[in-house]
Amino acid sequence: MQDAARPRTKIEVCNLTKRFGELLVLDDISFSVAEGEFVAIVGPTGCGKTTFLNALSCLLPASGGQILIDGTPANPKRHNISYVFQEPTCLPWRTVRENVAYGMEVKGRPQKEIDERLDHILDLVGLTQCANLYPNQISASMQQRIAVSRAFAVDPDLLLMDEPYGQLDVKLRFYLEDELVNLWRKLQSTVLFITHNIEEAVYVSERILVLSNKPTRIKAEVRVDLPRPRDFMDPEFVRIREHVTDLIRWW
Amino acid sequence: MTAYREVVVRTPLALKILPILSVATFFIAWEIVVRTGVVPDTMLAAPTTVTQLLFDKFTNIDPDGALLYEHAWVSIQEAFCGYFLALAVGLPLGLAMGWFNVAEGLARPIFEIIRPIPPVAWIPLTIFWFGIGLPGKIFIIWLGGLVPCVINAYVGVKMTNPTLIQMARTYGASDWQIFKQLCIPSALPMVFGALQIALACCWTNLVAAELLAADAGLGFMITMGRRLAMPEMVVLGMFMVGLTGAFIGVIIDRVEKRLLAGIRR
Ligand SMILES: Nc1ncnc2c1ncn2[C@@H]1O[C@H](COP(=O)(O)OP(=O)(O)OP(=O)(O)O)[C@@H](O)[C@H]1O
Ligand SMILES: [Mg+2]
Repeated sequence: MQDAARPRTKIEVCNLTKRFGELLVLDDISFSVAEGEFVAIVGPTGCGKTTFLNALSCLLPASGGQILIDGTPANPKRHNISYVFQEPTCLPWRTVRENVAYGMEVKGRPQKEIDERLDHILDLVGLTQCANLYPNQISASMQQRIAVSRAFAVDPDLLLMDEPYGQLDVKLRFYLEDELVNLWRKLQSTVLFITHNIEEAVYVSERILVLSNKPTRIKAEVRVDLPRPRDFMDPEFVRIREHVTDLIRWW
Repeated sequence: MTAYREVVVRTPLALKILPILSVATFFIAWEIVVRTGVVPDTMLAAPTTVTQLLFDKFTNIDPDGALLYEHAWVSIQEAFCGYFLALAVGLPLGLAMGWFNVAEGLARPIFEIIRPIPPVAWIPLTIFWFGIGLPGKIFIIWLGGLVPCVINAYVGVKMTNPTLIQMARTYGASDWQIFKQLCIPSALPMVFGALQIALACCWTNLVAAELLAADAGLGFMITMGRRLAMPEMVVLGMFMVGLTGAFIGVIIDRVEKRLLAGIRR
């Protein structure tokens, strides 16, 4: 494991608070994420997981507190933040390849670098075959893989994922989770992965943050020090999964 | 990609014969009604009289001062000038209004004031300003075509999927990048819709403008028919307006298909 020499802190969230009028959704949340870490966040439906990511990505202004990336306040124009949304976000008028390139184009990377990285990433996720198809010619799961590839392609400081595989069937989800872990290990990004599937959280992450009901706080933190590839049947895996399940059930 | 098997739908016999029968009956009844004097020929011309005039107008400039195709050509020229000017101004304006708050804040109120005034109501003013020549009519047609261009482009931009905009924002895209890369492509189907609607508007307003202020054109021909008490000329003018309008519609339809095919693979 990489634990021996834990790398430096990459993201620091200090006293993050978010209110919608009277409704307090995020209540004074603080935590930090190390460089290259894969953190999963689980919590009950409607507890504010999406709101949390929106605040982290600066799509929503926070009501209080701050988010630091490498010690400076998060700013999408300065930092490389990637966000994979709950719903597919392919641009229908761009091919698969052009879609994956979108983030890099926005950031004004040189064309040569874009091409090299595209070849690399499309190869990693096995999308080379359909690189020239349009989103309406491929399945919904492939569209989500495009979004994931696009997110990794910009070499993000922070990669936010909001239940990207929520709608998919179990078998495909396992496959994509493997792919995700694979991408993360090869490209060494820092990932915050939201899900309400506990098994998924234990399978992919190094650390799990368990959120409470609204007003939302971090109720518990669970380390997942299992070797990869992980096995769902492994007793240790099952123990962690049940532990997290208990934490969520125990209001 | 997928090869669809072509489904052969046979037209029922009734739908093949009845249309012909109905059209024939219509013209024959019209002919009889005029010939027998049920409707006096000062009020309506028989189809045969109109056809006669049609052939006559191919070679004879009297009594309205121009050949038939010259009238049609004047009208087409005016319509297209106004149309393209409407596209050139309306589409960028509508697109900008849909995305940039400054553009919407400045242009929207003025647009909303002008929009409910039918372009025809501008005719007297335009006669003061431009006389009855080409520029005045182009102005009227331009006004008519402008409205659907602005509205469609505006609505098209407003319909951009907000999640796509959020996605672009998280990558740090600027307002201009989002406008160019997301809003305009999203608005394209609505913009193409505007091409057809605006043309129809232009054509309608053109005829209205020519009825009131012109010295040539199909609308002018209709007015001349009235002044000279020649119902056959009025009817011929009406038919030509319909025919030319349909013809232009077909052309635009073709162009649109080409453009769409070029843009969406
Ligand atoms: N723009 C908004 N205005 C007012 N209230 C909002 C807004 N967005 C979210 N909320 C409220 O904040 C709470 C959290 O919403 P959020 O979408 O973040 O939940 P979630 O944890 O992502 O749920 P899910 O698991 O269903 O995705 C909800 O109670 C919702 O009603
Ligand atoms: Mg959500």
